[in-house]
Amino acid sequence: MSTLLEVKDLRLQFGGVKAVDGLSFTVESEEILAVIGPNGAGKTSAFNCISGFYLPTSGKVVFDGKDIVRNAPGFWRSLRLVDLLQSFGFYRVLPSRVTKWGMARTFQNLRLFRELSVLDNVKTAMHANIREGFWATLLHTPGYRRAEAECAEQARGWLDFVGFEGDENLFVTQLPYGEQRRVEIARALATSPKLLLLDEPAAGLNFNEKQALMQLIRSIRDLGVAVVLIEHDMGLIMNLAERIVVLNYGKEIAVGTPDQIKNDPVVIEAYLGVEDEPLDPTKLQTGTVDLSLLDDGKKGKLS
Amino acid sequence: MSRLQSKADAALRAPSPLFDRPAAPGGIFTSNRGFLRALGVLCVVLLVVLPFMDASRYTMSVATSALIYVMFAMGLNVVVGYAGLLDLGYIAFFAVGAYVSGIFTTVLGWPMWAALPMTVLACILAGIIIGAPTLRLRSDYLAIVTLGFGEIIRITANNLKITGGPTGIHGIPTWSFGSWSFADGFTLFGIEFPQRVVFYYFVAAIVVLVGVIGAGRLAKGKMGRAWKAVRDDEDAAEAMGINTYIAKITAYIIGAVWAGVAGQLMATQLSAISPNSFQFLYSALILMAVVLGGMGSTPGVIIGALFVSLAPELLRDFSEWRFLIFGILLVVVMLFRPAGLWPSTAILPWLKKHRPVAPPTAGFMAVPSSASNEDLTTAEGEDAR
Repeated sequence: MSTLLEVKDLRLQFGGVKAVDGLSFTVESEEILAVIGPNGAGKTSAFNCISGFYLPTSGKVVFDGKDIVRNAPGFWRSLRLVDLLQSFGFYRVLPSRVTKWGMARTFQNLRLFRELSVLDNVKTAMHANIREGFWATLLHTPGYRRAEAECAEQARGWLDFVGFEGDENLFVTQLPYGEQRRVEIARALATSPKLLLLDEPAAGLNFNEKQALMQLIRSIRDLGVAVVLIEHDMGLIMNLAERIVVLNYGKEIAVGTPDQIKNDPVVIEAYLGVEDEPLDPTKLQTGTVDLSLLDDGKKGKLS
Repeated sequence: MSRLQSKADAALRAPSPLFDRPAAPGGIFTSNRGFLRALGVLCVVLLVVLPFMDASRYTMSVATSALIYVMFAMGLNVVVGYAGLLDLGYIAFFAVGAYVSGIFTTVLGWPMWAALPMTVLACILAGIIIGAPTLRLRSDYLAIVTLGFGEIIRITANNLKITGGPTGIHGIPTWSFGSWSFADGFTLFGIEFPQRVVFYYFVAAIVVLVGVIGAGRLAKGKMGRAWKAVRDDEDAAEAMGINTYIAKITAYIIGAVWAGVAGQLMATQLSAISPNSFQFLYSALILMAVVLGGMGSTPGVIIGALFVSLAPELLRDFSEWRFLIFGILLVVVMLFRPAGLWPSTAILPWLKKHRPVAPPTAGFMAVPSSASNEDLTTAEGEDAR
C-alpha cells in the first residue's frame, strides 16, 4: 500500500464563496474511499479540482508522484496573463493529461456521448491508449486494423466486466438509466485508471442495481484500482467503504473507518445538527416577541 | 479477496470478453454498411458513365462544380458535422486554396501539381492561424469570430497587390504533368477525351478517393471518435483523456485542407478568380448543404452539396425567384426532416425490425471468464423454452 493521491490544504474560491476551504486527505492505492458530506459541502468541487477541471486557488494535489496544481511564475501574474495562458493549457494540468496519468472519473449527471453507440462510447475512452497515425487511418493499413480490433475487444471486455447486457450498437440514449450508469463506469475504466473517481454512482438506482453496483466497485478494486466515491446512500457507504472522509463547509471534519464515522459526534452534528435542549416556554415567548418587534420595525420604515 | 499488487504498475487492461458476439451482418440489404457501400459503388459507376451519356460543355462544367462542392462540403462536415464547431467563414479556406494555387501558377509559373503541396501547407497554416485563438470559444462566439475571419481573408485579397486586387487572378493554367497537360486531352481505345472530360474525371477521382472515402475513414478512426466526443460533450471528452483543443484544431486543419484542395480545383476550372467569388453567401450555402443533408453523415452531406450546387441550375428558369424557392424548399425540409435529409443516426427503414439481438449472458459477473460459452447458450435456451 502506498499513497496514490495526496490532497493538501486545497482551497477553491468563487469570488467570496469558499467552495473548498483547506481540504486535506490521502488515498492509498487499491482502497475504497468514500467522501461524504451535507449538500453544498464542496465534494464535487473538490473532485473537479483533483481531476483538473477547476483550477484551485491554492493547495497541493499530488497524484502518483505528479503535481496536478501548478503555479504560474510571478512575472505572468504581474502582467495578468495567467488566465489567458492557462486557458491555452500552460501552467496547468489539463484534465486529459490527468486522465492519461491514470485518474478516471464519472460525472454526477450522466455525461455519455449521446450520439455515439455504446461500444463507441467505451472506445472513445481508449483514445490515449491506442496508436493510429493519420496516414494509417486514411489508408487502413494492417496496423490500423489491428489497433481498431484490439480497441473493440478491450471495449467489449469492459462492457462485459461491468455487466452490460444490452446491444452494444444501440445509442446510449436508448438505454435505461441503470444501464447508462454501467456504460459510464465502463467508459471510465477503459482509460486504464489507477484511481477511479465516482461522483454519486448510486443516484437514481433501485435496490438491486445498488447491490450490483457495490459488487462492481469491489471487483474494480480487485483489479488494482483505487476507488473514491461521493455518495449520499449511507447504507451503501457503510457496507462498501474502507475509509470515509467527511466534508463540511469545504473542509474535512472527520476521517476514519465506517464504524468510527458512525459514532463521531462531529459528523452527527454536521448531518443532524446539535441536539437542542428541551423546549423552554419562556424562550419560545421571547422568540415571538422578537418577531413582532421585527414586524413593527418594518411597518415603521414603510410608513 | 486477493489483491493483485503487480497490476498497479502496468497499464490496466480489460478482462477478455465473456462471450463471443454474433458477427455483424454483411450483405447489401441486411446491413447499413453494406447498403452504403453498394450505393457508393453505384455512384462511382454513374460518375464514370456520365461523360459517355452527355459530354457537352454545359453538363461537364455543372457536374465538375457539383463535385467540387461535394469536396468542399465534406471538409465542412468534418468541422461542423463531426467536431461540432459552427464555422460561418469556411469560404476563407476555399479562398486561400484558390489564391495560393493561382499565385504559384501564374506569378511564379509553377505547374499545378507542384502548387498542390503549397496549397495544403498554406491551408494548414491558415487553419492554425484562424483556429488557435478562436477554438477556445464555444458555439455562438466561435461562429461570430469565424464569420469575421472569412471576411478578413476576402478583404485582404481585395487589397493586396499579389492577389490582383479587386480584379483577381486571370489565366490560371490547367493541370499539366511534364509535357502533357489536360488541355491536350487523350485518346483511349479510339475514344477521344477532351480537356473538360479529363478534368472532370480527375476531379471525380480526387473527390471520391480523398474527399469522401478519406474523410469517412478519418471519422471512423481514433481521431474521428474524439471529434464526435467533443461535439457531444466537451468536458466528458476531456475527462476521457482527449485533449479537446488538439482534437478541435485537427478537425479545423483537416477541414481547411479539404476546402483548400476544393479551392484549387475550382481555380483550375474557372481559370480566373476574384474576391467576389468568395463572399459570405457561399459560406452560408455550404453550411446549408451540410445542415440540410444531415450533419456528420456522408451520404447526407453529398446529397446536400449536390442539391445546393444543382438547384440553381435546375431553377434557372425562375432566375429572379431562385433564392425564394430555395428558401421555401429549405423550410419545408427542415419542417419534415429536422435532422437533415439523411441523418448520421439514420437506420435504413427495412432494417429497423432487424435489430441485433442481445447476446446471451448469465447475469451480472456471475460467470468467470473461463466458463465455456456452451453452458451459457444452453442455459439461455432453457430460459427461452
